[in-house]
Amino acid sequence: MASVHDQMAANGKVKRSKDLPRGVERLKEEHRKVVKDCRSQIEHWKKVENDYDSLQERLRTLPDKLSYDIMVPFGPLAFMPGKLVHTNELTVLLGDNWFAKCSAKQADGLVEHRKKHVKNTLDDLQKVMKNFQNRADFTDDLEKLTGADTGDFVDIREDVINEEEVTKGKHRLAHKPNSKPKLEYLLELEEDEKKEGDEERKTGVLSEEELWARLDELEREEELQDERYRLDSTDTNGEDTTSSSEEEKEADGGSGVQVNGHQKENGWVPTSIPSQMNGTNGSHPEDEDEEEECDEETGNGLPTIYFSHTAEFKKVRINTGKNTTLKFSERNEQKAQAKRKKKSGKSNGHSPHESYKITSPADIYRVFVDLVNGEPIPRKSILKSRSRENSVCSDTSESSTADFEERRAAFGRSWSHDDATYSDTSDGITEEESPTGTSPRANGRFEAFTGTVIEKDPLPSSIPHLTIAPPALPTIPERKLEEVGPEAPQEPPKRISKFKATRLHQK
Amino acid sequence: MNRVLARCFCYVSKSMSARQKLEAQLTENNIVKEELTMLDSQNTVYKLIGPVLVKQDLDEAKATVSKRLEYINGEIQRYETVLKEMERKSEQHREVLSSLQQEYQRAQGQAVGKA
Repeated sequence: MASVHDQMAANGKVKRSKDLPRGVERLKEEHRKVVKDCRSQIEHWKKVENDYDSLQERLRTLPDKLSYDIMVPFGPLAFMPGKLVHTNELTVLLGDNWFAKCSAKQADGLVEHRKKHVKNTLDDLQKVMKNFQNRADFTDDLEKLTGADTGDFVDIREDVINEEEVTKGKHRLAHKPNSKPKLEYLLELEEDEKKEGDEERKTGVLSEEELWARLDELEREEELQDERYRLDSTDTNGEDTTSSSEEEKEADGGSGVQVNGHQKENGWVPTSIPSQMNGTNGSHPEDEDEEEECDEETGNGLPTIYFSHTAEFKKVRINTGKNTTLKFSERNEQKAQAKRKKKSGKSNGHSPHESYKITSPADIYRVFVDLVNGEPIPRKSILKSRSRENSVCSDTSESSTADFEERRAAFGRSWSHDDATYSDTSDGITEEESPTGTSPRANGRFEAFTGTVIEKDPLPSSIPHLTIAPPALPTIPERKLEEVGPEAPQEPPKRISKFKATRLHQK
Repeated sequence: MNRVLARCFCYVSKSMSARQKLEAQLTENNIVKEELTMLDSQNTVYKLIGPVLVKQDLDEAKATVSKRLEYINGEIQRYETVLKEMERKSEQHREVLSSLQQEYQRAQGQAVGKA
């Protein structure tokens, strides 16, 4: 102790009084005492338990013979030969001056019962001992930490000077719908609800998203083929839907709606797809609270469109496809609902819109229920996106899934037919949307796209449910092209996606 | 003052020890009660009264043990309240004592100052 004091004084820790180390010592002593007590008590009770065990043994063997020849203690100093009779009759002390005559077996049971008590006590003691042992260790550590002299632990501080740099990387991460940096994304958003956050996120996301992309690539490729087939058949429809979905998204204020095709594609690998219309990749991030949408693509040098909207519940991205997650946004929901009301579309997988309040995982399953023939059927897996049916964009990535839902709700169920056909396929494919495959095209398209954001009004009734995801998938880039072209000039007045047209036609 | 405090403290510790004894009895009687339930009427139950083992009826024994348990619980409660009361009083005394001490020191300081 003295040395410690001297050292402390020497180090100039003048403020540290002598009492402190003394106090710590005393505390440790007390701890040790308690631990020692516990140990001795445990010893004692263990002995008791052993005694009971041997007693039980004796009880079991006692009734074997009618009588035993034994040496009977005779006074304190002598023994004399005698017989032990009535070997099965025992007078047992129950405690507190109560006795009972029992047979050997009954006595055995009583002993068992007592042993249980002893075990409980033992356990308690063990716990207490461990507890105090931990406390003692903790005080030791604490002393080391705070102790000036023992420099085992050092407080390392590193000031972050340039925050932007730090957040830059996160940008990209955020865009990836399913990428981990959800949290980062969230944080970033809160910090700067503006582009900065978005941009930064994008860059950061890239690295992680790339990984995700790798994972999803295979899946996407698989689905891509199917989608392609489907899309080929309904190319026009897909385009329409994509355009309409885009409008929707834009209308939402970029609440995360992206070009369906691209978004979905980029759902998992936003970064991989350089160009995204309206850069509503923001929706992807799994951060539900993400309000802003920034063009992830912008990171690639394309015009960046930043949407900043009021804090809204971001679309919840649930894995509607293999890798996509449905993004659930209240705003979209409302729009969808409005649309639905208008359209009174068929109920088809628009469950998400019904009770969009998702507060627990269970809600997700409740909400994202497939409505088949008017009956809500819980999805086998929310990973399977039925949104494809409704989503214009084939991309089932985060952003796209949200869109899917919206579209579904927004567009009447007129697309159901198409959806039905494509939904299944789209589920798998949406994710795929082979961002890699479509991205190049999208990139090119985006280049052409001058970054005009077409705000989508709440989808007019004319827009059918975007239930078809698949068709859009393969042709996402194409669709985008088309959307860009026709939409840009047309804008709100006439926005009937091809999907809708097809649906109407089919009807 | 100090004497009063010491007396208080004494009483408190006495109550504490009595209470601990009661606690031990409580657990013991609980075990007896449980073990009595394990027995059947065929076994004869005895109670040790002095050097004599007196035969008792099983049901009577059970009732007696239950009553004793209740009594012990009541006693524990009583001791609890007494203990609390004592602690409060001792706390009061301690405060008075400390204030007196402060005054005394102040007075001493003044005296020294004056001197």
